Amino acid sequence: MADSTTTDLVSATGSAEGGFLLSTLQSMANWCRKNSVWPLPLGLSCCGIEFMATAASRYDMSRFGMEVARFSPRQADLLLVAGTLTYKMAAVMTRLYDQMAEPKWVIAMGACASSGGMFRSYPVVQGIDEFIPVDFYIPGCPPRPDAVLNCLLQLQKKIERDRSYRMALKAPEDAPLALGGLVAVDGRGEMAPPALAHSDARWVEGTKPRAGVEKGPEPVRQR
Amino acid sequence: MSTIAYTPTAPASVPPAAARFLAGREAQWCDYAACGAAPRFRATPACLVPLEGWADTVAGLKAHHGFDLLVDHTAVDYPDRAPRFTVVAVLENTTTHDVLVLKTRVAEGAAVPSLTPLYRSADWAERETYDMFGIPFTGHPDLTRIYMPEDYDGWPLRRDFPMEGHLKFRD
Repeated sequence: MADSTTTDLVSATGSAEGGFLLSTLQSMANWCRKNSVWPLPLGLSCCGIEFMATAASRYDMSRFGMEVARFSPRQADLLLVAGTLTYKMAAVMTRLYDQMAEPKWVIAMGACASSGGMFRSYPVVQGIDEFIPVDFYIPGCPPRPDAVLNCLLQLQKKIERDRSYRMALKAPEDAPLALGGLVAVDGRGEMAPPALAHSDARWVEGTKPRAGVEKGPEPVRQR
Repeated sequence: MSTIAYTPTAPASVPPAAARFLAGREAQWCDYAACGAAPRFRATPACLVPLEGWADTVAGLKAHHGFDLLVDHTAVDYPDRAPRFTVVAVLENTTTHDVLVLKTRVAEGAAVPSLTPLYRSADWAERETYDMFGIPFTGHPDLTRIYMPEDYDGWPLRRDFPMEGHLKFRD
């Protein structure tokens, strides 16, 4: 609880019983989420081996609360696509992604998952963002465990900055679905964030900038 | 493109009975020496047989000449030849370890009799040949794509197929 990195946490130690803590629901939820990211490793090639090295004792991903690799999408928060994705496998990947509960994050690990890598060829998907939104891209062929750990720490920072609780519960009628990143599709899940109304509200970093996206209207502030 | 010379005379490495059987089936044998192949590639005898009776020829080799293993089955695309495709089957006699390459020429769209009733190992191999070249096999129990998605459009190993694919999902 006394995590020094948790923002918005106010401690009051007035009483003899040891005091109490004040915070917001959002920072509490973000603090819980970022320290219990359960990855679903979709190990498709050599990046999967490198992910195993990241999870094993020398690099030890569990230091950051991520050791519980779940092979069921219902129990996972993070889809870690590690390796070369073919078009035949892409259907499986999108199905896994759809089955994951919100909130969920996606990491494209390695050159193949990010851009097809060296396989500019008919069966290989040229970057998994042809099919699903991606939060982080890890360069490398394959990336070293250091790079994977760095990405996971960046992901924790992003989760900490998640502002979806502060957003309007209902998006304006004519708001664009997304700006600069994740498309919040209606009906994707109970905890799906509302439509992102403004680029300030983007909760996804690392996505490829999209050309020609118009700037949306000012966000509607609700108490 | 260098073409392979063919001769009706079987190489000495072919068992005589099998050679006589194939001679009755209008087999033409590859003359590796005449087309200048390196010596280490001349070891395996290869013969071209007509498409008619393709399955019967293989069935006879299996039943009477001991070729009881289908090692490989694939095809080659020669877009500048009149029957465009060459279907290749590699047979082995697991007792004597004789290996025999059988080839037949197929025009685009023409069907080939399936070898799956003879060899279980032909099942996926013929699906692969169908998936990559679009050659249909009659009598196959489940002739569907094996590598590519079922709704894929095109035959990737044909020479006129773009190597990068159709760029269907790309910018």
